[in-house]
Amino acid sequence: MKIRKWLRILHRDIGYLGVGLTVVFAVSGIAVNHINDWNPNYSIENSITKIDVVPNLDGEEMVKHVLNELKISEKPNGWHRTSPQRLQIFLEGITLDVNLKNGHIVQEKIEPRFMLRAFNILHLNEPKKAWTWFSDLYAVSLLFLAISGVFFLKGKKGWKWRGTWMVAIGVVIPYLFLLYYS
Amino acid sequence: MTLKSVIIASLILAGILFANDIKNLGEKLTLNESTAISEINKAPESFLGKTVLVEGRVIDVCKKRGCWVKIAGDKEYESILVKVEDGVIVFPVEAKGKMAKVEGTIEKVEYTLEQTKERAKQKCEMEGKEFDEAKVTKPDVMYRLRAIGAAIEM
Repeated sequence: MKIRKWLRILHRDIGYLGVGLTVVFAVSGIAVNHINDWNPNYSIENSITKIDVVPNLDGEEMVKHVLNELKISEKPNGWHRTSPQRLQIFLEGITLDVNLKNGHIVQEKIEPRFMLRAFNILHLNEPKKAWTWFSDLYAVSLLFLAISGVFFLKGKKGWKWRGTWMVAIGVVIPYLFLLYYS
Repeated sequence: MTLKSVIIASLILAGILFANDIKNLGEKLTLNESTAISEINKAPESFLGKTVLVEGRVIDVCKKRGCWVKIAGDKEYESILVKVEDGVIVFPVEAKGKMAKVEGTIEKVEYTLEQTKERAKQKCEMEGKEFDEAKVTKPDVMYRLRAIGAAIEM
């Protein structure tokens, strides 16, 4: 009786503490599950513009010329010539890929997805270090929530009948997937 | 002051305190002296298996998993591909255009003739050129940096 009471109290409070992280991991889990269909971290927009053929100038001068043609006053973070025909200009969050031969410019705009980028950083353990231990602790608390939840109720709705069957179904379903896909 | 405002103020303060201009990824850099990318590209075989530190502007990043970056060389048209184990280091796409230092070992990747043709075809498609399969007669070799640590000026 006493153990059940404590299980309930711990289950409740650990559950409350885990709400934030559960939302983070669940939302990010869905987003990352579909990585083949979309980019879960960034929204990337490509647009094409055209200017007149870029005259053969020095690197810096060439960058100034392109930015003037595009009426961009922002100072670039840098630039790079990837080949005699290609010039890359890096602005904040934007890359201009200039074809010097024909004046075609591919403008790539990258923006981190609101909230999702942050969720994915945590879910995929990009920070490493202390976050690894903290998320391990969260995983252990999830184990506790799962196991303690099973022993909450006594009688037919608990471990004696309903609980056993429901847990069994929950184990068998992923096992069937495993059999089917292996 | 209510508890809510204390929490919000603490979160803002933490954001300011933890904001960092240099983003360190993976293991801490151990080398102080960098090797010019042009030196590596000139004689890659002599750098095979050696640990080097390279410096330069990030000109491309793997957009899906952040598992590779390209670092511009010290000479025009030159660059080096930096690869990491998936998930060990994740390069942020925002790193594109920023200066970076990367430490790792130089490794060699040998492609089959089929793979070489496929790569050449993709390159031609990207550059809008016509692909002539007959011109690809030898399997390609690529030298890249297997990174263990990086520092990016964000």
